[in-house]
Amino acid sequence: VAGIELPQKQWPELIGSLLSNIHQVPAHVKQATLETLGYMCEEVSPDVVDQDQVNKILTAVVQGMNASEANNDVRLAATRALYNALGFAQANFSNDMERDYIMRVVCEATLSPEVKIRQAAFECLVSISSTYYEKLAPYIQDIFNITAKAVKEDEEPVALQAIEFWSSICDEEIDILEEYGGDFTGDSDIPCFYFIKQALPALVPMLLETLLKQEEDQDQDEGAWNIAMAGGTCLGLVARTVGDDIVPLVMPFIEENITKPDWRQREAATYAFGSILEGPSPDKLTPTVNVALNFMLSALTKDPNNHVKDTTAWTLGRIFEFLHGSTVETQIITHANCQQIITVLLQSMKDVPNVAEKACGALYFLAQGYEDVGSSSPLTPFFQEIVQSLLTVTHRDDAGESRLRTAAYETLNEVVRCSTDETAPMVLQLVPVIMMELHQTLEGQKLSSDEREKQNELQGLLCGCLQVIIQKLGSSEPTKYVFMQYADQIMSLFLRVFACRSATVHEEAMLAIGALAYATGPDFAKYMQEFYKYLEMGLQNFEEYQVCAVTVGVVGDICRALEDKILPYCDGIMTQLLKDLSSNQLHRSVKPPIFSCFGDIALAIGENFEKYLMYAMPMLQSAAELSAHTSGADDEMTEYTNLLRNGILEAYSGIFQGFKNSPKTQLLMPYAPHILQFLDSIYMEKDMDDVVMKTAIGVLGDLADTLGSNAGSLIQQSLSSKDFLNECLSSDDHLIKESAEWAKLAISRAISTT
Amino acid sequence: MAPHDLRRPFKRPAISDQQRRRELTLLRQNQSRCDAQNHARFLASSVLALHSQSQSPEPIFESPIVEHE
Repeated sequence: VAGIELPQKQWPELIGSLLSNIHQVPAHVKQATLETLGYMCEEVSPDVVDQDQVNKILTAVVQGMNASEANNDVRLAATRALYNALGFAQANFSNDMERDYIMRVVCEATLSPEVKIRQAAFECLVSISSTYYEKLAPYIQDIFNITAKAVKEDEEPVALQAIEFWSSICDEEIDILEEYGGDFTGDSDIPCFYFIKQALPALVPMLLETLLKQEEDQDQDEGAWNIAMAGGTCLGLVARTVGDDIVPLVMPFIEENITKPDWRQREAATYAFGSILEGPSPDKLTPTVNVALNFMLSALTKDPNNHVKDTTAWTLGRIFEFLHGSTVETQIITHANCQQIITVLLQSMKDVPNVAEKACGALYFLAQGYEDVGSSSPLTPFFQEIVQSLLTVTHRDDAGESRLRTAAYETLNEVVRCSTDETAPMVLQLVPVIMMELHQTLEGQKLSSDEREKQNELQGLLCGCLQVIIQKLGSSEPTKYVFMQYADQIMSLFLRVFACRSATVHEEAMLAIGALAYATGPDFAKYMQEFYKYLEMGLQNFEEYQVCAVTVGVVGDICRALEDKILPYCDGIMTQLLKDLSSNQLHRSVKPPIFSCFGDIALAIGENFEKYLMYAMPMLQSAAELSAHTSGADDEMTEYTNLLRNGILEAYSGIFQGFKNSPKTQLLMPYAPHILQFLDSIYMEKDMDDVVMKTAIGVLGDLADTLGSNAGSLIQQSLSSKDFLNECLSSDDHLIKESAEWAKLAISRAISTT
Repeated sequence: MAPHDLRRPFKRPAISDQQRRRELTLLRQNQSRCDAQNHARFLASSVLALHSQSQSPEPIFESPIVEHE
């Protein structure tokens, strides 16, 4: 109730009357009051509570947490309340004395004899680490001591929070350092205090110790989360934060443990190695990886322990992910060891499901590394065998365990995506195979709800696989031509897939149909009558907005494939798109692509877009006004605003281009002043990204090109067209420059005939 | 007060293949849209180029731009 009423200032006495309870003698009243304050802070936004009241809440909460509070239930309620109230404490954390006091009470609570209080206090520390990172310097040494003790000897829920504190500090520093390194601002609002770098000599040994605390069979349990997993995850984050510096600290641990008879030691050593592969430079890692590779391949085949094999296969995947590919200078996979690597991975795919799943994952990144290999791939000699092995995995009776079937199909997708012309005939042979698999899932059988769920998952995977194949084969004329023999059958399978009620399957089928439309071109018209209802269903799917988003994209594919043959379906499509734009329910990320889709439709149907102008233009205009002025927006909002601007501008481009050379171009004249104003205002805001810049200067050209002499004087009068054009003409980005050259040509023509 | 779930992705790739399929589709669609627009502009600019060959080239924005208040 407070969540509803406080923002509207309708319950001003609430906090005061709650706080008056704090001095009540019965402990349970105090406890209930603190719990209520906690719930209230969780629900209510900090900006609706006055600082004066915040101070009183924090005082009450911190007093309740104090070691002098004899009742543990009260102390626990207070500590949990503080967790929720931390977001309210901005001003208090800026005051040294108040912050010192809060930090002292929190740190003392981590030493409480009551485990739940210790856990809740560490949760507060985790939250403080992300909310008040820049205030932590004076306390970090003490916090290290507290967390180290907890990780070493406290109960698991407490130790997990203590590790999470350091993972959270890594998250903060990775973000800050990324901003330092990024070329956008070259700076960050918050300075990096390099807590991780400073703590490294003590932090790394602490984390390495945790790796030896694995649970038996943790790899078979999807929901498992324990100290070893948290410690390894944190170690990986530390490696990403400090880079090369971590390597010498971890290597001795690996060397000491990797050959020990106890599986826990071998697994911990392997996990440590796998964890630090992202972050340090390839130069630093490659010599070790070259030695380790043989050892890992041998362990994957021979180690008697499944847990060790699981982590070994995962580590191989990480080696291929970060140290193999066209961007890495020294190749770790050579002609000499490629065959052996593939043999071991394919063999490992016959192992127990969790190991086989990781082997598929390793093969995924092995294939990905050859993405830009050119016309001939080192994988070509093994292509047939790899594909066959992956298909065999998908048919295993136990492929439902450990995500194995999913991993196999995903790897097949990557193998196909990264294949070259040499293996195109084999990819073509895969089409009827996967189609047959999909066909079999559609045969009428009575299924239990559990079986149906598995069936849906499989259909999603098969549609995903077909999408990748269609996209691959459709990208070159000769393979597209041969592939087309399957188009009718494949489309009829996709249409049958829509009969099942699963958002994921709909999305996958829709993506595949988009790829098919792109490959088919104008002939796609023959499927439209049957397909249209599913297209409309997709556009109406507000709840599962991903389905709606991909359907909007597919409308664009179909526009480009059918051109004016899409006209009979446009009333329905436009009606739905306009409804989508007006909906408060629909996720905002779908709205920019809808505007771009207006442009696709207009470009496809040309002047026939006339009847939609009176609906589309006001929508564009109000969205443009909304997106023009962005002062004070945060990074996330600026990014969204640029997406929105780009969508709006793509709509304008499509509409102008669609109307070009039509006798109805004068219908667009009334909108020109506003569009030029919009271009002026985004130019003056100085926060557009390169994509928007390219689209915006293109719109200026399209407007001049379509409206010709009618627009010439308007453009000359506009505030910033000239500066904007000049800035784009001298841009380093060749796409912006190219659009600007075009705009210059179109504008000069429009002006010369004024 | 909701329990604080601190589990992080474990031995999982950062981006799922499904996400990759979505992203690659968006790339293809953006590229096709760009191609379609360039095609429309190219048709226009070749007409323009033919036209402007018969005229003397005139620099744009050379005439004084109307001053704004």
